[in-house]
Amino acid sequence: MSGKDRIEIFPSRMAQTIMKARLKGAQTGRNLLKKKSDALTLRFRQILKKIIETKMLMGEVMREAAFSLAEAKFTAGDFSTTVIQNVNKAQVKIRAKKDNVAGVTLPVFEHYHEGTDSYELTGLARGGEQLAKLKRNYAKAVELLVELASLQSSFPGSNVPLLISSQSWMRESEKNSIG
Amino acid sequence: MLEGAELYFNVDHGYLEGLVRGCKASLLTQQDYINLVQCETLEDVKIHLQTTDYGNFLANQTNPLTVSKIDTEMRKKLCREFEYFRNHSLEPLSTFFTYMTCSYMIDNVILLMNGALQKKSVKEILVKCHPLGRFTEMEAVNIAETPSDLFNAVLVETPLAPFFQDCMSENTLDELNIELLRNKLYKSYLEAFYKFCKNHGDVTAEIMCPILEFEADRRAFIITLNSFGTELSKDDRETLYPTCGKLYPEGLRLLAQAEDFDQMRRVADHYGVYKPLFEAVGDGNGGKTLEDVFYEREVQMNVLAFNRQFHYGVFYAYTKLKEQEMRNIVWIAECISQRHRTKINSYIPIL
Repeated sequence: MSGKDRIEIFPSRMAQTIMKARLKGAQTGRNLLKKKSDALTLRFRQILKKIIETKMLMGEVMREAAFSLAEAKFTAGDFSTTVIQNVNKAQVKIRAKKDNVAGVTLPVFEHYHEGTDSYELTGLARGGEQLAKLKRNYAKAVELLVELASLQSSFPGSNVPLLISSQSWMRESEKNSIG
Repeated sequence: MLEGAELYFNVDHGYLEGLVRGCKASLLTQQDYINLVQCETLEDVKIHLQTTDYGNFLANQTNPLTVSKIDTEMRKKLCREFEYFRNHSLEPLSTFFTYMTCSYMIDNVILLMNGALQKKSVKEILVKCHPLGRFTEMEAVNIAETPSDLFNAVLVETPLAPFFQDCMSENTLDELNIELLRNKLYKSYLEAFYKFCKNHGDVTAEIMCPILEFEADRRAFIITLNSFGTELSKDDRETLYPTCGKLYPEGLRLLAQAEDFDQMRRVADHYGVYKPLFEAVGDGNGGKTLEDVFYEREVQMNVLAFNRQFHYGVFYAYTKLKEQEMRNIVWIAECISQRHRTKINSYIPIL
C-alpha cells in the first residue's frame, strides 16, 4: 500500500457504495482494455506470420521473374529501351482501404487492373511467347509486392495501439492490485 | 554455270573473304561451351574467354563483372570487325553490307522516333542505339515534331527511305502503332534485300536467297503465333508477312486465316522444309519452342554457307553466327550469375 495512491475519503456508507461502483467501472474498463490488447496481439501475430510467408514467396517469385527476363532477352534480343520509352499509364493500380480491428483502423492495399496492355505487340516478330511469360511472372511479383506493402504498413499501425493499450492495462492492473 | 565468279571474285573481294573465313574459324566450339557451362562465377567465364579468340577483351573492366558489361564488350568487338570489313569493301559488296546494316537501322529509327515523340533527350537514346545501325543523320532527329516531319527532314536521306515509301503514305505515319511500323519496314527491307541478291545472281543468289526465304517464312510463322489473342486483326497481320519466301502466296493466305497453333502446323505440313521443323517442337514446358527450332535451322543454314566459295553470303552468315554466339554467352552468363542452372544447356550450339 503506497502512500500516494491513497484516496482521501470520508468513511460513510454512501461513500462505500460510491467507491464500489467506481471499482466496478474501473474493472470493466480494465477488462475491455485487455480484450483490445488481446485482439490486437492476435492480429499482430497473424500479420507477422503472413509477412514471413510472403517474404519467402517473394524471393522465389523474383528469382523466377529475373530468369524469365534472361530467357526473353535470349530469344527476343534487347527490348528494354523500347519498353522504357513507351511507358505512359499504369496498368496495375492500388486502392487504399481501411480495416477496423477492435477500434483501431489499419490501412489495407488492394490492387486492380485498369486499361489495356500497351505492350501487346512488342516482340511480335520474335520472342512473343517468352515476353508473355515474362509479363505474367512480373505481374505476379507486383501483386505479391502490393500484398507485402499492405501487411508491412498495417504492422506498425497495429503495434502502437497494442503497446498503448497493454501499457494502460498494466497500469490499471497495478492500481487494482494495490486497491 | 558459274559466270566467272571463280575468275573475278578474288580481285575485289578475295582479301575480305579470306579474313572472314579466319574469323569464322575462331567461333567458339562445343568444347568451349562445355567449359563455359561448368563455370561457377562470371570471373571464371572471363578466364575461359581469355583462352578463345576473345582474348583480354574484359581486361579493362572494373569489378564487379556484370553480364551487361560482357555483352557490351562482345558487341564492340563484333562492330570493330564489321566496320573493318565494310571499310575495305568495294561495290557491290558495300551495297550488300549496307543492306545488312539496314535491319539495325530500322530498330534505331523506331527507337529515335519513339524518343522524339516522347520528347526524350536525343543523347540518351543515341547511347542505346545499336552501333551497327548508325547513320549520319541520327543526331538530327530532335528537330522533328511529328513522324512525318521526321521522315521528310531526316529519313529521306537514309537507305531506309524506299522502305518507308513502300509501306505507307506520310499521313498514316502518325497514327501507326510503333510495332506495326517496325514490322512493315522490316518486310520491305527483306523483300528489297532478296531482290538485290537475286539480281546479283551467281553463287551469292544461290546461298543468300534460301536464307532470306527462310527468314521471311520464319517471320510469317512467328508473327502469326504471337498475334493469337491480341487485337491484331487478320488483315493487319497479312500486311506484315514478307512475300519473298516459299510460303508466298498460298501459304501466306492460309496463315492469315489461322487461329491457333494447330492450324498453323497444318499450313506448315504442306511444305517439305517446314514439316520436320514443326515436328521437332515440344509441347508446353520442357520441350523446344518454335523459336528455338527456327534459331537452330538458321544456324545450320549459316554454317552451310561457308561450304561454297566466292560469294557474299559468308559475311552475312558470319555476322549472324557471331550474334548467336553472343546470345549464347550472355545466356550462360545469366544462368551462372542468377544461379539458375537448370536450363543452362539451352543455348544453340553452332559448331
